[in-house]
Amino acid sequence: MIGPSITIKGEVTGEEDLLIHGKVEGTINLSGNQVCVGESGQVCADIQAKVVKIDGKVTGDITGIEMVVISKSGNVKGNIVAPRVTLEDGAIFKGSIDMDPAGSAFAKTPLASHQTTHAVATPLKASGGLDLKSV
Amino acid sequence: MPKPSTQASKLLPYLFEHIDEEQAVTVFHVGPALPETVDFFSNYRCKLHFIDLFSELPFVASEDELPTQVQQFEDLLQLPAHTRIDVCLFWDLFNFLDPAAINAFLTVLYPHLKENSMAHAFSVHNPRATQGSHLYGINQRDTLSSRNRRAALPGYAPHTQGELKELLHCFRLERSVLLPDSRLELLLQARL
Repeated sequence: MIGPSITIKGEVTGEEDLLIHGKVEGTINLSGNQVCVGESGQVCADIQAKVVKIDGKVTGDITGIEMVVISKSGNVKGNIVAPRVTLEDGAIFKGSIDMDPAGSAFAKTPLASHQTTHAVATPLKASGGLDLKSV
Repeated sequence: MPKPSTQASKLLPYLFEHIDEEQAVTVFHVGPALPETVDFFSNYRCKLHFIDLFSELPFVASEDELPTQVQQFEDLLQLPAHTRIDVCLFWDLFNFLDPAAINAFLTVLYPHLKENSMAHAFSVHNPRATQGSHLYGINQRDTLSSRNRRAALPGYAPHTQGELKELLHCFRLERSVLLPDSRLELLLQARL
């Protein structure tokens, strides 16, 4: 977890889920994991992850290999590429959504429902394993 | 955000008549992204461009300012050069643009149209029709969703259907349906 008082400038990579309550500028690449931007989180970065959930503010392009969810408190300015995108009532979004990422390696996988917010709302563990590269 | 209400649309289904769910489709949507619209299009292989021109109103310029206004729309639309649009959802945009602004907007949009691009818009039967103030989205293939805007938009000056046919020079009016309150629902096809 990146706490509310923490600011990171650079490249974030790793192999575990990430919860952001602070500020991140740069890039976030966790292709096999979830990235959740909490309500107090402010991200000015391109994000690539398996699942991306936005409760806070993001300026940058988002690639969700499985899914992107912008919750009712989320505010996103940027382009989204993901086979499944959910915008909750009240979410603010400015940009384009590409739900046909056929040019990339992504493919639509069956889900029980489009309302899959709960699937990514579980607390994210914050054990070691993230790489932070300053730029 | 205000709760949505729904309204049946006779013309909306024609937008998707030639598009099946396996076909890649590019959508140009004027206005903010609504949850139901994103949810609806999640059944398609699609790319959605949401451009909220309503938040930039009013667009007012004289004819001699056309290049400036074209630049203004280029900056707002920022469509990638290779983008070719299948479906345009203009909603009631043209009720808020004067002829010069419509011309500038279409000048920027034209390179992104293709022969079978289809569009949906609202107009008025009587230019004295009172201003509606709604956000629009798609609930189902034949059902629109609308939400009340928090405040009325500036620059309401609707055109008659005849005027609009002349102004929308790169579209052909395919069908129109008279709605309550002297409003019109329009189905347009690109004319390249």
